[in-house]
Amino acid sequence: MAGVYAVERPPSGFNFENCRRNKSLIEMGFQPPRAQKTGTTIVGALFKDFVVLGADTRATSDSIVADKNCDKIHYLAKNMYCCGAGTAADTVMTTDMIRSQLELHRMMTKRQPRVVTANRMLKQLLFRYHGQIGAALVLGGFDVDGPHLYTVAPHGSTDKSPYTTMGSGSLAAMSVLEQRWRPNLTEDEAKQLVRDAVAGGVFNDLGSGSHVDLCVIKKDKVDYMRPYDIANVKGVKQGKYVYPRGTTGVLTTRVIPLVVESEEVKKVSGEAMDTSA
Amino acid sequence: METILGLRTDNFCILASDMTAAHSIIVMKSNEKKIYPVSDQILMAATGQQGDAHQFAEYIVKNVQLYKMRNGYGLSTASAAHFIRQNLAEYLRSQTPYNVNLLLGGFEEKTGGQLYYMDYLASSHEVKYGSHGYGGVIALSILERYWRPDMTEAEAYDIMIKCVEEIQRRLIINLPNFHIQIVDKNGIRVLPDITTATVLSKKSQA
Amino acid sequence: MSIMSYNGGGVVAMKGKNCVAIACDLRLGVSQYNTIATDFEKVFQFGPHLFCGLPGLATDTLTVKDKLRFRLNMYELKEDRKMSPQVFTSMLSNLLYERRFGPYFIEPVIAGLDPKTGEPYVASMDLIGCPEKPEDFVVSGTCGPQLYGMCEALYEPDQGPEDLFETISQALVNACDRDAISGWGGVVYIIEKDKITRKTLKTRMD
Repeated sequence: MAGVYAVERPPSGFNFENCRRNKSLIEMGFQPPRAQKTGTTIVGALFKDFVVLGADTRATSDSIVADKNCDKIHYLAKNMYCCGAGTAADTVMTTDMIRSQLELHRMMTKRQPRVVTANRMLKQLLFRYHGQIGAALVLGGFDVDGPHLYTVAPHGSTDKSPYTTMGSGSLAAMSVLEQRWRPNLTEDEAKQLVRDAVAGGVFNDLGSGSHVDLCVIKKDKVDYMRPYDIANVKGVKQGKYVYPRGTTGVLTTRVIPLVVESEEVKKVSGEAMDTSA
Repeated sequence: METILGLRTDNFCILASDMTAAHSIIVMKSNEKKIYPVSDQILMAATGQQGDAHQFAEYIVKNVQLYKMRNGYGLSTASAAHFIRQNLAEYLRSQTPYNVNLLLGGFEEKTGGQLYYMDYLASSHEVKYGSHGYGGVIALSILERYWRPDMTEAEAYDIMIKCVEEIQRRLIINLPNFHIQIVDKNGIRVLPDITTATVLSKKSQA
Repeated sequence: MSIMSYNGGGVVAMKGKNCVAIACDLRLGVSQYNTIATDFEKVFQFGPHLFCGLPGLATDTLTVKDKLRFRLNMYELKEDRKMSPQVFTSMLSNLLYERRFGPYFIEPVIAGLDPKTGEPYVASMDLIGCPEKPEDFVVSGTCGPQLYGMCEALYEPDQGPEDLFETISQALVNACDRDAISGWGGVVYIIEKDKITRKTLKTRMD
């Protein structure tokens, strides 16, 4: 029987308690459901003194568009962002975890984190799970060594390359990059190039769609443009389907009033967070 | 293969179970009792893999009794249902899951008869009437047709006969005997078994 | 058959002007086509302005509801304040992602008003906890595809509570009509700053 005292802190890490049950359900002939995918086009391109990241904004589950405007360029640190493709939950949770580790690292070392550090953290995390965490990432940032761009594959291998793309629309995007990338494009040219690369995915890959988000990371400055380009405008609705009140047949109605009986304001004196090592 | 039925009214809850214990294609026993008294006010009918059903039911019965000894007061039907569900869910995640389907009947002054439907996945829900097994599929439509919240005991027993009659007529599996128990404000009672003979005499009366 | 459609059911939530609505159907089925109950609510209240719908496998609906209630209570005891919908979403997201490799078979929907600002909030998640926070509406469950279509056509931003009720009800009712394992009644909650309105809907019962 369950103890009287609640467990204060559950053990960290993944929990496998349902695995055996789920396995036997699948053996009984039930189909396991599929998780949401980003089914993505994400792009990164490196230039002389800045790096540009780009992504589409469609999330799919099977063939259904689950989110028409999702955020695939994840914040890692002030000088670093990371695009995610693959299993949506994995990209979000992986970047969330690395973000918190990077912040702790920053507070510990009192230095701005470097992009190699984030890259190493990501690849070590992903390698530990043998590709079971389905996150394909494009990591870009600007640190003391200048701009950097990395690709992290789900199994934990990484590349450092001048331009890169991931996700189901990567073939379309890469063809644009291969043709037009030059090392010393201006910022406007670079933005246009990355937009066009993502748009290549949006229009030619059905897993990618909706808008184009961009993120330009320069020394001491980040331009996060969401959306940068509304590549697909929905036809404007000319009328409205509004039902007149009373259309729906109602069997019972219960109104639960929420009355504030008393209000108490507790002032908490401001105390700085202890960030000493 | 096995069938259990149950229904609740404002004044009692009645459970029925077939009395067949089969092994493979052979009937080993036709007087098996699959309804267990959990407390003075709670009944439980269990089917599934035979060992599992019996073992799990005993475990639940003893633990509910232990709870009363320890605390000086017994579990309500709702609490018992929650306890059983929690156990079933925990065992489902262990190396030795219990493959049992349950109906839990109880009586309380405030709510009247109560019936909980529970399956081997540990889904649990309070229902007016419920059933498990192949026979249950047939019986459900009869229960749906005749159930009223203000039925008398005799009427409820009659519906059970109707269900058994239909099961014996339509189901390819041989289920000759049904064991019936009722729980009301006076506690638990065993009602006469519904057998092929009961059904026949009912028919000849009509 | 998918595990997600073993019990059936769907949930939808919509943002309005200073209000949100969340609605679910009431069917509980077993093995898809066997209806057990028509009063199985999949939407639960977790705070004065906080609701969460958990459609999917019924046993996990119940398990996750219990786990959420426990974690929410612990948070509110420790922190001495109400949980905001945003915090609730990340709590649930972490609970589900923790079981990344052995998930609960539910796809939650969250609806609420921010306790401080009163800002409407809706969010949904896949079964391993990837949060999604759109500007308009969220859907989930076996009639999810149908609900997408209905909501995409019917939804208008900044509706008042009365109009929002009609929109969400019609979306739910008509989506359930095109899903064999959803429907059998519906419940709508309209959440406003000073009151919650719960309405049960008249629907087809087939």
